[in-house]
Amino acid sequence: MYKERDLSMSFLGIHLDSPFILSAAPPTDELEMAENGLEAGWAGVILKTTSVEGNPVNLKNPMMSSFGTMNRRVMGLGNIDLISRYHINDIEQRVKYLKKKFSNKMIAASIMGASKDDWQSLVLRLKKAEVDLIECSFSCPQGSMGEEAGKMLAQSIEATEKVTSWVKEAAEETPILIKITPQVTDIVEVAKAVRKGGADGITASNTIPSLLGIDIMSFEPYPTLFGEGSYSGLSGYAIKPITLRTIAEIARNVDIIISGNGGAWNWRDAVEFMAVGASNVQFCSLPMHYGFRVIRDLKDGLANFLEEKGLKSPAEIVGKALKNIKSQEELANPESRSEIDIDKCIGCGVCYSACHDGGHMAISWDPEKRKPSVDDDKCTGCAMCMQVCPVDAIRMKEKIDSKVHYFFEVR
Amino acid sequence: MEEIHRNLTREQAILESEKCLYCYDAPCEKACPANVPVPEFIQSIRSGNLKGAYKLVTKANPFIETCGRVCPEESFCQSVCTRKEIDAPIKIRELHRFVTDNVSDVQIELSVEKSRGYKVAVVGGGPAGLSCARELGLSGVEVTVFEKKALGGVPVQEISKERLSEVISNKEVKLIQRYFVREVKDRKLTIVSDIIGKFDAIFVSVGLPEEQTLEIPNSEIRGVYKAREILKLAKSGMKVSLGKRIGVIGGGNVAIEVASVLKKENPESDVEVIYRRGLKELRAFKDEIDEAVKVGVVFQFLAIPIEIKGNESVEGIVVRRARLRENPLNKRREFEEVPNSDFFIPLDALVIAIGQKASDFFAELEKTEQGYIKCDESMMTSVKGVFAGGDAVRGASTIVESVGDGKKASESILKYLEGGKDV
Repeated sequence: MYKERDLSMSFLGIHLDSPFILSAAPPTDELEMAENGLEAGWAGVILKTTSVEGNPVNLKNPMMSSFGTMNRRVMGLGNIDLISRYHINDIEQRVKYLKKKFSNKMIAASIMGASKDDWQSLVLRLKKAEVDLIECSFSCPQGSMGEEAGKMLAQSIEATEKVTSWVKEAAEETPILIKITPQVTDIVEVAKAVRKGGADGITASNTIPSLLGIDIMSFEPYPTLFGEGSYSGLSGYAIKPITLRTIAEIARNVDIIISGNGGAWNWRDAVEFMAVGASNVQFCSLPMHYGFRVIRDLKDGLANFLEEKGLKSPAEIVGKALKNIKSQEELANPESRSEIDIDKCIGCGVCYSACHDGGHMAISWDPEKRKPSVDDDKCTGCAMCMQVCPVDAIRMKEKIDSKVHYFFEVR
Repeated sequence: MEEIHRNLTREQAILESEKCLYCYDAPCEKACPANVPVPEFIQSIRSGNLKGAYKLVTKANPFIETCGRVCPEESFCQSVCTRKEIDAPIKIRELHRFVTDNVSDVQIELSVEKSRGYKVAVVGGGPAGLSCARELGLSGVEVTVFEKKALGGVPVQEISKERLSEVISNKEVKLIQRYFVREVKDRKLTIVSDIIGKFDAIFVSVGLPEEQTLEIPNSEIRGVYKAREILKLAKSGMKVSLGKRIGVIGGGNVAIEVASVLKKENPESDVEVIYRRGLKELRAFKDEIDEAVKVGVVFQFLAIPIEIKGNESVEGIVVRRARLRENPLNKRREFEEVPNSDFFIPLDALVIAIGQKASDFFAELEKTEQGYIKCDESMMTSVKGVFAGGDAVRGASTIVESVGDGKKASESILKYLEGGKDV
């Protein structure tokens, strides 16, 4: 009944019917799942990371764990997964099959090797299978190949540049994405190394090394394998702000195409990733949690957003927020004050508590009317009160000379 | 017997607790006559510290398990919950019931002050008296309770088993008796002068033992019953069978509850509440009305009792149609009689539940116009050193208000005792 909006865009010369891609992860590990994902409407798949036959894959289960509250059970998802249990020979076959079956979708693969030979033979075999794009995992927090145990390839600037150049040398015209980790001292240096090595783009970013939890009765870590556990790669909503910063920081400093990945939980998060420089957005935890069907609202939400903003293509979003991102030193220093909308206020007094013990004791409390009020002389405009208001009744009024600007977060 | 209210599951309780805004200066806590620290105990549920939550609620209210089942949610904490401004109030009653149901077996060490050498008499062993006794006992005061009937008052004797199992109310009573009461005297006191001089202070909490009588013809004939007698019989385990067609006159909690009990005792019977005003004017808690409707009690509204008919026993009642009129001075609509509108309702039994009245005991204490015991701010009566609380002071009210009175009186009594004055 309603006309569908065109969300297509070109990515490294590849046609994407929307900016939403299934990342190299469990949802693309079985051929049938990859097919289901594409049929559900995802623009492309990056098949779960594979390697050459000589590299054994020793997966251990249970591999998943999570943390969250009763209300939001999975705030973040953890895994001690490694790479696909399928080796390159299977992946070659799948690429050929999927390319044939889904000619209008992006069929990509992800690889991980140790030696130069591993990397280059993986690339050559996929190229021969006419893969659309190859993503190289330099950043799986769990397994390491050819590097020191526990260290990720992308944590070494030199190794990143060197291995990227091996890969690109073999890939020639086939686009290469390097998937990096945010767990580095300087993400810009890593992105520069990726660019120097000749990659076409960067995937920012992989899961983040973490420890998901400890059972305080048994002191066993999560996930627990016979009483013992290890560090997990953290994904899901919890890491969204970290990914957002990673993408922004690369985009602000390095001229390289970015595929956003890590923590987008809906189309709005995806728009944010794109606004700070991602050309498209990869998803894993969200479809792992709710299934491939989530693509419907991702696309529809984006389409309605474009319409509301009067934008023609998702590509127009890319980088739109970047000019507004500065270092703290570069920022203006407006006069800022908390402004409470008393009609909207429901009188919980939580802003009072927050300001009293976590702000500058600038909010006073009327116990009769159950209403807070701001003492402008004491208020520094820190915005702590605004964070805790359950009904968005607080905003920050900022002033420079006669100009006024308001800051309020939209939930 | 299965209880009406179902407890929250762990998942439900935590989900509910996560909705709590943790208000500063929380209105729920202030609205609770027993001052249960609601946001704090909910925070402890949220953090998985059920034992901590248990300590908080039981410290604030010695009848917390009773209140977790029968406290009228619309009247106190939940009625002022800030969360209702967003969606719905937190289910506070259900949450504290969740706490006590899931922690009650854990032994928690009590900290009782050493004896202060004072002796206090508590006259009447209901929620007000026993709450006062517990607080005084905790503070090292030697408490003697005077009670002719079983300890516990209304919750133990009258609230139906389905709403409040006797196991729960007896448990709370026993706990207070065991740890905080030196002696229980099986004696009915009607004047304080009998014991003045033997105690350093006295707390009178005798409730409202007498029922209002219906002043219409034939109200003394066979088949006319007093509501609270029926409730006590049912609670004691006796089978109560009054006939096939039963009328209950009244519109308060006791009326609605007795109607529910009778309908449940004999589902074949027709139980009809006969009330002068309308549904909106019923003075019963929402829970009670919902339960009555659910079990099949029916309502004859706008019916004023005129005359009970019957020779040897009740055959029915003549009622007159009422109409309601807005009262500018009062939110509650007033009723007035409609001329030539009498009609007859055939009945086998009639239960009168039109409220309790103040007894004429304790003549030495000054009374209010309604006949209740008169107290000052500190809950002291006209006689120095004699304090009072509960229904005997405020008229028919709730358990939690009685608990609040008992607590407040205990503070005043301690202050009074430390002032070194004689009774």
